[in-house]
Amino acid sequence: MLLLSLKMTLARKGRLLLTSLAIILGTGFLSGTFIFSDTLSKTFDRLFTDVFRDVDAYVRSANFIEVQFGGEQRSSVPIETLDTVLAVNGVSDATGDIQAFARIIGKDGKPLGSDNGPPTFGGIASASVAGLWSVDDGRLPTGENEMMMDRATADNGDFVIGDVVRVNAQSGSREFTLVGIATYGEISSPGGATFALFDQPTASAFLLKPGFVDAFLVQGDGSLSEDQLAARIDAALDPSLKLETLTGAQITEETTDQIGAVIGFLTTFLTIFSLIALGIGCFVIFNVFSITTAQRLRENALLRAIGASRRQVTTALLVEATIVGLLGSVLGFFTGIGLSRGLSALLAAFGVDIPTRGLSIEARTVIITLVVGTLVTIASAVFPALKAGRVPPLAALRDTAIENVGNNHKRFSIGISALVAGVIALVLAALGVNDWFLGVGVVAFFAGVLIIGPGVAKPVALALGRPVEWSRGVTGAMARQNAARNPKRTARTAAPVLIGVALVTAFTAFAASVEKEIRTTIGNQFNGDYAISAPSNGFGGLPISLTDEVALLPEVEQATGLGFATITLNGEGRFVQVLNPATASGLIDLDMVLGDQATLTANGIIVSNNRATTEGWQLGDALEIGLVDGTNKSLTIEGTFVPNGFFGSYVINRDVFLDTNNTLFDTIIYVDIRDGITDEQARVALSAVSSDRGLGTLLSRQEFIDAQSGQINQILGLIYGLLALSIVIAVVGIVITLLLSVFERKREIGLLRAVGMTRSQVRTTVRWESVITSMFGAVVGVVLGIVMGLVLIVVLADNGLSAFSLPISGTLVILVLSFVIGVLAAVYPAWKATRVNIMQSISTT
Amino acid sequence: MIVTISRHSANTSASTSTNQTENPRRLEVVCESAASANAAFKIYGSGDSEVRALDGVTVSFEKGKFTAIMGPSGSGKSTLMHCIAGLDSLTSGSVTIGGIDLAGLNDKALTTLRRNQVGFVFQAFNLIPTLNAEENIVLPLSLGGQAGDREWIDKVIDTIGLRDRLDHRPSELSGGQQQRVAVARALASQPSVIFADEPTGNLDSKTGHEVLSFMRRAVTELGQTIVMVTHDAGAASYADRIVFLKDGTIAGEMTEPNPEKVLDYLKHLGE
Repeated sequence: MLLLSLKMTLARKGRLLLTSLAIILGTGFLSGTFIFSDTLSKTFDRLFTDVFRDVDAYVRSANFIEVQFGGEQRSSVPIETLDTVLAVNGVSDATGDIQAFARIIGKDGKPLGSDNGPPTFGGIASASVAGLWSVDDGRLPTGENEMMMDRATADNGDFVIGDVVRVNAQSGSREFTLVGIATYGEISSPGGATFALFDQPTASAFLLKPGFVDAFLVQGDGSLSEDQLAARIDAALDPSLKLETLTGAQITEETTDQIGAVIGFLTTFLTIFSLIALGIGCFVIFNVFSITTAQRLRENALLRAIGASRRQVTTALLVEATIVGLLGSVLGFFTGIGLSRGLSALLAAFGVDIPTRGLSIEARTVIITLVVGTLVTIASAVFPALKAGRVPPLAALRDTAIENVGNNHKRFSIGISALVAGVIALVLAALGVNDWFLGVGVVAFFAGVLIIGPGVAKPVALALGRPVEWSRGVTGAMARQNAARNPKRTARTAAPVLIGVALVTAFTAFAASVEKEIRTTIGNQFNGDYAISAPSNGFGGLPISLTDEVALLPEVEQATGLGFATITLNGEGRFVQVLNPATASGLIDLDMVLGDQATLTANGIIVSNNRATTEGWQLGDALEIGLVDGTNKSLTIEGTFVPNGFFGSYVINRDVFLDTNNTLFDTIIYVDIRDGITDEQARVALSAVSSDRGLGTLLSRQEFIDAQSGQINQILGLIYGLLALSIVIAVVGIVITLLLSVFERKREIGLLRAVGMTRSQVRTTVRWESVITSMFGAVVGVVLGIVMGLVLIVVLADNGLSAFSLPISGTLVILVLSFVIGVLAAVYPAWKATRVNIMQSISTT
Repeated sequence: MIVTISRHSANTSASTSTNQTENPRRLEVVCESAASANAAFKIYGSGDSEVRALDGVTVSFEKGKFTAIMGPSGSGKSTLMHCIAGLDSLTSGSVTIGGIDLAGLNDKALTTLRRNQVGFVFQAFNLIPTLNAEENIVLPLSLGGQAGDREWIDKVIDTIGLRDRLDHRPSELSGGQQQRVAVARALASQPSVIFADEPTGNLDSKTGHEVLSFMRRAVTELGQTIVMVTHDAGAASYADRIVFLKDGTIAGEMTEPNPEKVLDYLKHLGE
């Protein structure tokens, strides 16, 4: 029997391959994700091992603040201490290291690197062996007017030694003479970042704070182990400076782990989307096996009649599923190798440019891909296989039966129960009982819709087909009837489209709501004419000296800077907005509940009313905060405000940072122009000090609002890209179903051709059936997606996203695309239908 | 020669059109033959495995007559019908329908010709399950985007006596009723010729009689042309003329048949 079922499976090679396609894509994405992240990890492991090869010890400040998703902010080290380190017995050499924001301005006056691209660094070029950089060409920079840059940036920016280069950093914008070109370890530039390198005093003054560096890189003389060396250095350091010493191995591991965490996050993100794709693949497999079981009713009945047991019939189908699963997973694995390249390209397109060297394929990747792919396929085939076993032997004598629609009453009661359960869970989630209810609710809601699907497929397909019948006459009528004649099949075929469309719609609705919220907030709270905006990736910003410079321009009435900083608040890392209350009023107006923003003192803090309520804070309460450099302060709550998607939960005065050892940037400068100044005059004056020097981007009020609210669309774009794969699987599902339907209706098509249906009319019929099916999925999916988007907004309402916005144009685009998907999916099956041999299909013998 | 095969030209046979080459109906009148095959060969395979399904058949089917094609299994009767109907192509020889030579027509032209000039009735599976009886009857017309001659269609529907069943799906009709609907569909476009392939093969003798007498009336009363393939002597005796086929050649013919005569002839043919 096993041999027989193997034989029967292999006899249908075309179908085998087609069915596998759904699994190939899902497992391909999964293995692609693994290969991609393994390759990344390997690349970075090697890179950092290489870079820190000559570093035996690493001295840095012990003061740091860690923020969730925000990485860590660490204080700096006074350069005088370098002498202490150099004096330690066992140290052969040591040098300061800085990794700070610096932007090289290209020859065309535009900054190199994009706002959303890899970071742009400034650092120290040192003669020390412990230094990270090696001179490739020219010499090391010395003095306050010389610089060096990395090989990749020099090549990209077309810079040669002797060029005068403008660089922007925290302290402002300056010009330097390029005297050397460097490489980082063996490579010309790590991760597509740009590097501007100076001698230590210049780097400290220009990039950080005069006399300070981020860390010391220390090389031993070989007489001590790394551990001994680190211990000895640590003992020599003045404890009041709060410094710590790591071994070379530790700093390598720490750096690698930090990158590993980012890669891990990325991997989880990608894995979620590959599981969605696999889930959709499940539906396709389930559908194909259901249809083929129905089509092979007589074959299975015959097997039963001649003595095969139920179990044998079921097993035969499961064997087929195993072959499909294995074949699909193996091919999927190879597809994954290609896809991992594609993922790199996709992320690069969204500015996440990551270098990869070779491909890293772990045994784990192969095993997980094969096991998951095969198990998923078998699981999807279990129900159809059990059903096949229940075929009565007598069915062999009857004409081929269409799948029965099943008990609609039972279907509705189960489906509606699931829907109700889903709604209850979602309401509980919205009430904030437990976030788990959100997941449970969404799954139950989906399940409910999918269970009810076959029950409503017929009337919905008939309704959707009505305009097709009107416009296409008898071919349209037949397409409409064909889509409705087998509601179970139509519903199952539409299910992948439904899920894909629902997810896309939900994200679109969510993004549209967030965008609208940000738009309203900025509109209400930013009242200036122009904004100068820093790169939005949160690294570096605009020197605060620029704000003062802008404020002094004769065209400017008022200018104020807004920045953010990392602090600890009652021991926990937090982001705070930093503003200057003296100049903010009229340009940035918080939606204050209590207190006054204009009177915020250097010892005060304004908190969101939500936080105040949750924490039980009152006006006048003291909050203990810590700054990155280790400074601790006690701030009094001087006001509360209504939070929104733009401002976080805390606002402090920039004077909190006075006399401390912290770097402070502005991220946005808001500008109000004097009356009578034209737009052109304002732009000329403002850009002269900012964007013309590569400092920030000058935007009008409207442009600024558009740019800020549009940021969400970038993330949306990435999510669309990842969901595209699920949509492709949905299309494959439609293609397979249509092919099976065409196969099943061979005689009908033959008859139609005999009585005068042209090939193009045959194509029309198949095409419109496909469109009706995909539109069925799309229409239900859109409704479901809007509901999900609404729920997401409501559940996340305490983050300040209370408004729901229906993405009308987005929804229309989704519907039009679903229509196109229907047309495209029908191309091959329709062609296949026109090839039906009239003679063979109508002959009765 | 430019041959325009359209429902319009077929429908306006009585109109003032004078362009004979573009009007198949007029040609038909000229040759008095609804369909014909001339030196038709249909050969499958080659060398030792060569099978001559049609071995030089020349036959003509008169307009307004009911002709039956008989012959033992494998005699080539179905092949002959399929080739004349434009469903299959000949190895050599020529076929005409309504005076039009089928050689040189492409798939689209052949399809249009089938739709307008030919009606079909098969042994089984004649109707589209998703369409009701009336939609099935007018299907060839709908496919051509025409309303058809409503008076004629009403007449046909009345003749088959299924007016009260028009909105029923095929699955709600009996086998005999389904075949009557199939014959009505074949008649709906007033084709040059209707080909029926064992139309009563799946029916019991009573319902078979219903269908056959309806076909007989379609010829006698409505002036249609029917060519029927059958191996049932009883069915064949409804025809005006029987053509006997054996081993791919015409073995003889008979006019004004009755079942006894036919059976005798078949016995003789078998020897």
